[in-house]
Amino acid sequence: MQAVVNALTSGSIYLLFALGMSVAWGTIGVLNFAHGAIFMFTAFLLHTVASGAGLSLPVLLVTGAVVGAAISALTQLLVFEPIQRRSPDAHRAELQILVGGIGVASILLAISQRVTQSVPFGFPPGTITVTSYDILGARVTNIHLIVVGFALVLSAAVGWWLSSSRVGLGLRSIGVDPEVATMMGINRRRLARGTMALAGGLSGVAGVLLTLNLGSIVPETGDAYLLKGFAAIILGGVGTVRGTVLGAFLLAAAETVLITTTSGQWVDAIAFALIFAMLLLRPNGILGHKEVRRT
Amino acid sequence: MTSWYYANLVLIQATFVSLLTALSIQVPIRVGVFSFAGIGSYAVGAYFTAIALIRYQLPTVVAILGGMAVAVVVSYLLSLVLARLRGLYLGMATIAYVLIIAVVIVNGGEFTGGPNGLYGVVSGFQTWMLIVLAAVALALIAYSERGTLGRRIDAVREDPELAVSMGIPVVRIRRLAFVASAVLGSLAGSCAVLLRRTVTPEDVSFHLVVLMLTIIIVGGSRSWAGVALGAVIFTWLPTVLHVIEEWKTIAYGVLVTLAAVWVPDGVWGLITKGYRAVRRRGRPGPSGVDSTADAGPAEPGPLAGIAARGGEAR
Repeated sequence: MQAVVNALTSGSIYLLFALGMSVAWGTIGVLNFAHGAIFMFTAFLLHTVASGAGLSLPVLLVTGAVVGAAISALTQLLVFEPIQRRSPDAHRAELQILVGGIGVASILLAISQRVTQSVPFGFPPGTITVTSYDILGARVTNIHLIVVGFALVLSAAVGWWLSSSRVGLGLRSIGVDPEVATMMGINRRRLARGTMALAGGLSGVAGVLLTLNLGSIVPETGDAYLLKGFAAIILGGVGTVRGTVLGAFLLAAAETVLITTTSGQWVDAIAFALIFAMLLLRPNGILGHKEVRRT
Repeated sequence: MTSWYYANLVLIQATFVSLLTALSIQVPIRVGVFSFAGIGSYAVGAYFTAIALIRYQLPTVVAILGGMAVAVVVSYLLSLVLARLRGLYLGMATIAYVLIIAVVIVNGGEFTGGPNGLYGVVSGFQTWMLIVLAAVALALIAYSERGTLGRRIDAVREDPELAVSMGIPVVRIRRLAFVASAVLGSLAGSCAVLLRRTVTPEDVSFHLVVLMLTIIIVGGSRSWAGVALGAVIFTWLPTVLHVIEEWKTIAYGVLVTLAAVWVPDGVWGLITKGYRAVRRRGRPGPSGVDSTADAGPAEPGPLAGIAARGGEAR
């Protein structure tokens, strides 16, 4: 039972982390390698501020979202947009964007490593008073509830926004055919910035929640999560919200099963094995659609 | 010169090892196959060589060729299995393959030395042999960039459908790219182990994938010369940046980002473009040809020759 709680919690954090990445990749075609670094850097910035100011949890979450969104949107504005503007074709832009993301990620990583000297950092105690409940023999804390609740509510909101709102529809149309979408009067550049801000905001919230859940993280945590995020996205299907939800919880479940039944040595392999198997069997993911593309 | 050589021997070795490793990624990219399987081959080559020398006392040549054979077989199978993936999806699958190998190595127990790796690989392998091997590899790759073969490879990358219709065996060339990448990658791994005498699981990581991608894109992905430039830049940059001590890692990130944004064709692309511009200014050719070339938004793509020959192929 405790295992289920743990799987739900880590799955929720994977979900919040991967959701923005998935939407950005599936619609505006940006696979952001700096996503993990933004996630970590938001938590790091808040740690630096919070250790002096003593911010409360709601304030932390809101600033986390704002900071993450700001960094992500800036990355889009200063790095990815110029690359997309200059690149002659989409494939070359893809590679340039990967390296641009790598560059941004290494800047953020370097700054936080330099400041923290790679010592684990977290929020000051007293940010949240932990109360735990006993449900069917499992210890459930209010942190667990907050994490799972946020993940479900936010992903439901994003899912609704993408499928029902006018803006979300426009965004999805970019994913199908950017040129026709532009002809239909969709402002690609503005939507791309908005999407990246959304992705960054979600990862900022995820960063705050992870730090809360674990107590402390290290600057290198971002890289590990980047790989887990890939796994969740590929599992569920790029660009689909429901797929990402499914992928994130499946990944967390598989990892938890492996940790509880074996000595846990192979737990790092499961994410990669899942990516590999999924790409072999169903390259579009469990809930992915076949790509609509005309040549 | 000799004293400089010996003082910087480690860096010189590292340059050629990363050159071979980066080539194992760049060769598939040139064919339009975005595969990181070369890093996996690096791991296979490195560990095969180390185990063959430490546990079985095999001759060095046998160890290198054995690792290469294993890497080629595995990569060939991979190319069959992953044939239907393209672009970032293929990249993702091959990254997963590399990281699975890394986890297997860590959990290999006694046989692979586990997290501690393997130590004490003794052989008569010298740095000049590495340099000769790298030179041979570069010469072969430079040859593949010229003439009919070069144009075929360009066609397979830029427009596979067109290439098929022109009678170019696209599938076979793609598989060949996987095999070539395996040869280069395992060679790099073997040489690294033979010169450094140790190998640890940390040598094969996501970080290595990221570094090689950076070398290729910043150096220039279209030509071996770009990769060579990238390998030199990223091996020596940390030493050069040492001047600014604490800001070293941050400056590194800034440089990579700037290069990704401002130098889309890589440093080598910048050099060739500059060279062409200088040559054009020096000798204004027949106005008809040159003015159309200048008026166009970009220089004619690598496909121009093929497309022209095929008439209205597109």
